[in-house]
Amino acid sequence: MKKEETVKLISAEGFEFVVDKKAAMVSQTIRNMLTSPGGFAETQHGEVRFPEISTPILEKICQYFYWSLQFASGKETEFHIEPELTLELMMAANYLHT
Amino acid sequence: MSNQKKKNFKIEAFKHRAELEPNYAEKTWKILEHAIQEIYNHNASGLSFEELYRNAYNMVLHKYGEKLYSELVTTMRSHLHQLSRYIEGIQGGFFLEVLNREWEDYKKALQMIRDILMYMDRTFVPSSKKPPVNELGLNLWRDYIAQSLIIQVRLEHTLLELVEKERTGEVINRGLMRNVVQMLKELGPSVYQEDFERPLIAQSAYFYRVESQKSIECCDCGDYLKKAERRLSEETERVSHYLAEATGKMLQNVVEREMIANHMQRLVQRENSGLVMMLEDDKYDDLSRMYRLFSRVPEGLSTIRDVMTGHIRETGKQLVTDPEKSKDPVEFVQRLLKEKDKYDKIISSAFNNDKTFQNALNSSFEHFINLNPRSSEFISLFVDDKLRKGLKEVSEEDVEAVLDKVMILFRYLQEKDVFEKYYKQHLAKRLLSGKSVSDEAERSLIVKLKTECGYQFTSKLEGMFTDMRTSQDTMRGFHTSQPPVMMDRQPGLAVLVLTTGSWPMQAIMACNLPSEIHWVCERFKAYYLGTHSGRKLSWQTSMGSADLKAVFGKGQKHELIVSTYQMCVLMLFNMSDQLSYKDIEQATAIPAADLKRCLQSLACVKGKNVLCKEPMSKDILAGDRFCVNESFSSKFFKVKIGTVVAQKESEPEKQETRQRVEEDRKPQIEAAIVRIMKSRRVLDHNNIVAEVTKQLQSRFLPNPVVIKKRIESLIEREFLERDKVDRKMYRYLA
Repeated sequence: MKKEETVKLISAEGFEFVVDKKAAMVSQTIRNMLTSPGGFAETQHGEVRFPEISTPILEKICQYFYWSLQFASGKETEFHIEPELTLELMMAANYLHT
Repeated sequence: MSNQKKKNFKIEAFKHRAELEPNYAEKTWKILEHAIQEIYNHNASGLSFEELYRNAYNMVLHKYGEKLYSELVTTMRSHLHQLSRYIEGIQGGFFLEVLNREWEDYKKALQMIRDILMYMDRTFVPSSKKPPVNELGLNLWRDYIAQSLIIQVRLEHTLLELVEKERTGEVINRGLMRNVVQMLKELGPSVYQEDFERPLIAQSAYFYRVESQKSIECCDCGDYLKKAERRLSEETERVSHYLAEATGKMLQNVVEREMIANHMQRLVQRENSGLVMMLEDDKYDDLSRMYRLFSRVPEGLSTIRDVMTGHIRETGKQLVTDPEKSKDPVEFVQRLLKEKDKYDKIISSAFNNDKTFQNALNSSFEHFINLNPRSSEFISLFVDDKLRKGLKEVSEEDVEAVLDKVMILFRYLQEKDVFEKYYKQHLAKRLLSGKSVSDEAERSLIVKLKTECGYQFTSKLEGMFTDMRTSQDTMRGFHTSQPPVMMDRQPGLAVLVLTTGSWPMQAIMACNLPSEIHWVCERFKAYYLGTHSGRKLSWQTSMGSADLKAVFGKGQKHELIVSTYQMCVLMLFNMSDQLSYKDIEQATAIPAADLKRCLQSLACVKGKNVLCKEPMSKDILAGDRFCVNESFSSKFFKVKIGTVVAQKESEPEKQETRQRVEEDRKPQIEAAIVRIMKSRRVLDHNNIVAEVTKQLQSRFLPNPVVIKKRIESLIEREFLERDKVDRKMYRYLA
């Protein structure tokens, strides 16, 4: 995959998730980060740090991005969420405007 | 029951784990403020979006949204304040460039600020009903920059100056112009309209008022219109480059009003180059340009139309009333047709085939054709000329085309019955002298007249054709009935039996025919009355023609083609060598006027003078004497002695025809009155006149005085009576 088409998402613990930009942009916040004019650090380096999001949550979020793309293209499957993740996941969703 | 506790469930609000420091808000804002300053300074590349976003997010989350928003406003205000100082300080021609550059930067920065404060926009702004960041930014820009006193005036002035420069032919930076105008548009429609559009319109109106004044002084009409057209297209182009659509409409209106509507009369009536000149010189381009431009303004087309109508009427009037020009009827009609063609072409090629213009043309023609009371006669003469000889070499389509054109003129005639009268006369002459070139063409015209005016109009004309056909049969019958021996000895005879009434014949005294002829005629009469009982035959000796074989002094043999009268005169010279005018008059009993004319054509026309006159002179006098011109010679075997052909009527003849027409109208008017009264029973005078006029319109325009006379005559004859109470009312008696 070309670098321009991907973005690196880094969790609080330092885990790096490389995902398609297309998928990451499911999040309105990430979309703004990557498209805002003027060249913020994130746009330049192609990576975003989330010091307030833990690794399992970010992993789940990345899964959600891809699921969401599939859902939007007509493949309607269940997205399973473990109950213990729910709260944190919702907070992150609010933050990411997903 | 004691230890029963009511369990109160309470859902606790979720507590964010971040503990708040006492001056948390202050600190966080400092970070954000710093970032905003960096953004303004084009120094954003080091900043972490995520961090800024998170800070703003947390501030809103911890109920510091209000603080965040108001601090933001303060920061933006102070930035703009500085910026306005800077822009105000710009000198010279770079004002627009700087303004535009700052605007672009500002917009970009605004977007970045909006992006990092997105969470505030999303949650705090809607609930507190404040304008979102983007709108806030535009509003502040409007207040601090676009509408700050100095910049506003300068901006307006600069923009208008640029437009004016472009109008006077200079090249300006249209892209810059477009961007700045776009800025005004983005700041809201009211900003654009108030700060730019309205002053622009006012300025344009002034500009075009001055320009049109100047050009109308120095240009002729055609050039002026070209200029106006160019200006219109320039404005359209300008709009497409940097103005709003709606402004375009207004600008067009301004140009139309200032350059066209305000000067319409002056343009059209301009001497030497105005509408009249264009019409006369067939300037199709100029005319169609005028039509296009004038159609954009109210009253524009009617102005053209009025002037055109006036001009056609004027020239038409000259055409038909100039006695010089009405000398030759054929040319007269030809000229009318030419005029009609000319304007048809103008209307079709320059005036977009506009129906209202066609109507105006028609009514103008109707107006002036009827100014000349002889138009009907001339049109009939024109047809006569065409059907007599003009069409010999012409194809059938062309015949149709000419006839169609004539029909158009015919339609304009008010006195169609006068035309009918003349047409009948001319047709009769054509048929009787056998000079009608094409039966087909004759018939086609009759059909056209029939569709135009109805069966009644042409029934008599058709009767004439029927007579011609039956006469042929009758002659065949007559010849077969005669013993062949006699046929060789007697002169050949061709008789046309004409129905009285269908033909325009006056009962005249038959002249004395030479005995040989008289004898044959009697035989025919006997045959005809034998086959058709109860009829009466009378001879129209003024209409016929004869072929004579003549031998002159030195033995020259010629065949003379002459009229019946001329034949009668010439036959007298078989008996005697010399005759006086008196002798001839007595022997033939030809009416004096006809006899003089016939002698004139026999004795006074050079090359065809088969008789000699004593004394030699142009006019025939009662004391003249005649003898055969023995030395007559001609290079043709057949010599046609000129008969007086159908020509324009002389003054007394015209009067006579006129009188006959009036006479014929009387019964028609009476019939119309009776028809109307029969259905209405009671009607007042004015209404009768109106209805009669309407009924007879297709044939002629009845004179109200004549109608009144007819009503009186009908009262006398007890068809009508006056109402006993209301003397204005008439009552039908039956």
